Amino acid sequence: MVSKIKKKTLSFQDTIFNLQKYWSKKGCVILQPYDLEVGAGTFHPATTLRSLGRKPWKTAYVQPSRRPTDGRYGDNPNRLQHYYQFQVLIKPSPKEIKKMYLNSLSSIGINHEEHDIRFVEDDWESPTLGAAGLGWEVWCDGMEVTQFTYFQQMAGVECKPVSVEITYGLERLCMFIQNKKSVFDLIWNDEGITYKDVFHQSEKEFSAYNFEYANTDNLFKIFEMLEEETRSLVEKKISLPAYDQCLKCSHVFNILDARGVISVAQRAEYIARIRELTKSIGKVWIESQS
Amino acid sequence: MSELFVELFSEEIPARLQINARNELKKNIKNFFIENQIKFNENFNVYSTPNRLVLLVDKIPNEIKLSSEEIRGPNVNAPEKALEGFIRSNNTILEKIFKKNTEKGEFYFFKKESRKIKVSDLLEKNLSEILAKIAWNKSMKWANYDLYWGRPLKSILAIFNKKPLNFVFNHINSSNKTFKDKSLEEGMKTFKDFNSYLKFFRKKGILIDQDLRKKIIQNKINEIINKKNLKIEHNDRLVDEIVNIVEKPVVIVCDFDKKFLNVPSEILITTMQTHQKYLPTFDKKNNLTNNFFVVSDIKDTKGFVKLGNERVIEARLSDAEFFWEKNKTQNLVKQVDKLKNINYFKGLGSYFDKIQRMRKLSSLISDDFLISKDKIEIASSICKVDLMSDLVGEFPELQGIVGGHFAKFQGFDKEVCLAVSEQYLPNGMESKLPKKMYSVALSLSDKLDSLVGFFGINLKPTSSKDPYAIRRMAISLVRLIVENETKIKLKDLIIYTCSVYRDQGYDFDTKKIQNELSDFIIERLKNYLKEKKIRQDIIESSTFLLGLDDLLKAYKKSLCLNKNIKKEIGFETIAAYKRSSNILNTEEKISAGSLGFADPGLFKNDYEKKLYKKINDIRKYFLSIGKDENYEESLIILSSIKKEINDFFDNVIVNDEDIIIKKNRLELLNMLCKTFDNYFNFSKINA
Repeated sequence: MVSKIKKKTLSFQDTIFNLQKYWSKKGCVILQPYDLEVGAGTFHPATTLRSLGRKPWKTAYVQPSRRPTDGRYGDNPNRLQHYYQFQVLIKPSPKEIKKMYLNSLSSIGINHEEHDIRFVEDDWESPTLGAAGLGWEVWCDGMEVTQFTYFQQMAGVECKPVSVEITYGLERLCMFIQNKKSVFDLIWNDEGITYKDVFHQSEKEFSAYNFEYANTDNLFKIFEMLEEETRSLVEKKISLPAYDQCLKCSHVFNILDARGVISVAQRAEYIARIRELTKSIGKVWIESQS
Repeated sequence: MSELFVELFSEEIPARLQINARNELKKNIKNFFIENQIKFNENFNVYSTPNRLVLLVDKIPNEIKLSSEEIRGPNVNAPEKALEGFIRSNNTILEKIFKKNTEKGEFYFFKKESRKIKVSDLLEKNLSEILAKIAWNKSMKWANYDLYWGRPLKSILAIFNKKPLNFVFNHINSSNKTFKDKSLEEGMKTFKDFNSYLKFFRKKGILIDQDLRKKIIQNKINEIINKKNLKIEHNDRLVDEIVNIVEKPVVIVCDFDKKFLNVPSEILITTMQTHQKYLPTFDKKNNLTNNFFVVSDIKDTKGFVKLGNERVIEARLSDAEFFWEKNKTQNLVKQVDKLKNINYFKGLGSYFDKIQRMRKLSSLISDDFLISKDKIEIASSICKVDLMSDLVGEFPELQGIVGGHFAKFQGFDKEVCLAVSEQYLPNGMESKLPKKMYSVALSLSDKLDSLVGFFGINLKPTSSKDPYAIRRMAISLVRLIVENETKIKLKDLIIYTCSVYRDQGYDFDTKKIQNELSDFIIERLKNYLKEKKIRQDIIESSTFLLGLDDLLKAYKKSLCLNKNIKKEIGFETIAAYKRSSNILNTEEKISAGSLGFADPGLFKNDYEKKLYKKINDIRKYFLSIGKDENYEESLIILSSIKKEINDFFDNVIVNDEDIIIKKNRLELLNMLCKTFDNYFNFSKINA
């Protein structure tokens, strides 16, 4: 029976619950966000490190992601320096992954027979992770809602078997589902709390920090210290703590970048330094797996 | 006669990869039929949708007859094992083996009888290899498999003469089935032939044939724009991409809020075309309108698709509008100082350093162009400021154009705005060329500064690598000069650019840069002429010993000769030159000690005198023309020597017994050649 009552709007948190339930049923380990500042769900060790080596792995989790340069002091309806990704990683990539993905959209109210769902070429590369993949960005009626990537390389190592990564931009997706023009108008729960209530102050203050107040002299020093720490942990062959230090390096670099104190040439150099760290950690991790 | 029908089903393959795969498959299958001497319809087709790559070849015989042949085996002296192997591999018995003498010695032979082979057997044996030969521009692996394909390959349907072909391609077994639904990859359906397949999908609105999709999209768009009195920009690349990212195209007209039309149209157009793959529309006066086309892959029964796309463009345009409103009022002049913080290139300073150099350069160029020094200096100073704006951050492809709009908004002179806007043009061979002198001057100084800089820090392109697109920069420089008939002294400009770098403390080897860059630019001119379909020998002649300041001349002369080479004036000019130079070449010793002129006192007859007079007339012509040479007229004058030179050769024997007379005649011919060199050195022309 088709209900004649208009369905109630799926809240931001219900969207997350539904996706978690859906992927849980598909056998994924549902993890919680990694407790460090990262630029994307891909940086979670459950993706970067677990995509390396032969052992099968299925996971799904929400990851708060920080992009200091994207901050707009909470003034722009589409830009945030902190936002949420819902990340799925499955190794090896299953044959029916497209079907699984489209059904996951149904679980949050997007029926692929009513919307123009398009898989648009978008090959992905992360210079800091030494990673590359082929895939698409998925468009729903012209709006990019997901990144869909088959990892080919991670930490400079060829992936075998190949993992598939699905990354939903949760705010975008919810703006689509809830028909909102501004991210701050998103309904967070059924009690009338909005995204603005939860995050507006944070956007404002962190934008000020990222663009104006971060102490760059100290951050440059901190970067060096973290880099040194990473190297020493790599030598001791403990990959996970080493990777934590490397993630911190990466975040410090992102703030320096947002502060505009890194020139184009320096930028490439810093990225190369982080990549070298990731690669050395990847090696240690793979050794630890065998 | 039968039909071969193959469908390769995969996840969505990007447009350009599809096109590449279609061509590859077509080529490989054609080669297979030709190599195996199987008749086939050469006008066969390869189709594709994002998920289905389809091959259809018809008029193929079911059997082919192979005539009998003698197969050579091992040498009679080879170990027994070799013979055994030969017998086994030919599936025969010892009794059928015979010995035969050849030039290389005595060998075992086996006579293969003429026999019939089923084409379906051949196909089953070879299809896997044919598929493996597809060279993807970019390919990937997935799951645990070793196969590389454009995107994960899911199934292979292969049918010949209505029967399935069974073969294995990597981990996939072929069959006569395929997925009915591309989205969920559900419901396999069996097919007998291409026609029933086509009909089945047609009923679902899916068009396998990309050309048909294109026609339907175009017809629908034309129908709408005619009704609405609109136009669309001709954009083959975008249309071809759209055609290959849908299987059942539905054209939807959408619109955005008219208030966004206040944002510079380039920004709106880039957003629609590049980011969203929409087709923007224009009114009859070529002004952008707020209507645009979306090609959906689904019927918009509930209106979701239209609504969704309009919301997306609204959000993107608000973003662009926000930045435009914010950036346009930021004073360009006041921001120039901030360029000190932006690195232009490692080893070449900041953008502030760059614009200081460009100011000096463009100021020198302004003398040659007779344009205002003040204006071009202003344009140089502000031209890179837009690189710091949010808008260029969002739309890097609009650098310059955005700066031009800022300048216009802030009330800068019209020519200054246009120069800022066009500073990066042309960008290579096909791109639009600026015509206004301020634009040309700014673009020239930008490119010269970059070229000298990159050569200065030794980052010249190699034969295979050109990561900074320096070739394109030099081609653009050549185009600016020759297509605008720009009269500049390029050599002096390069020397001056070096000195400007030196003033900033760069330790550049001026002589080295000058030589290398000069060769490099002349090489680009040659490529340019080649692109313009000028004959190779004419290119060689026009660039032989060419100085950097004469690019324009070389271009015009080669164009003129290329046009006229088959006509009388070209033909006769070359004939006269060749007849003379051929003799000189055989008498090398004498021409080596040439005085450079003939002595009229030594002439024995009128033919010599008339030729001498004619040569002198031509010399006078070249002395008188100066800068305004009409190259066609020059060819007419050169070719007019026809009578004198023919009379001379018909009546005078150059090889006179008297060595002095002979030498004088050779001097006369040498004079002719030297005079012809005023056009260019014809010795490289193939008569």
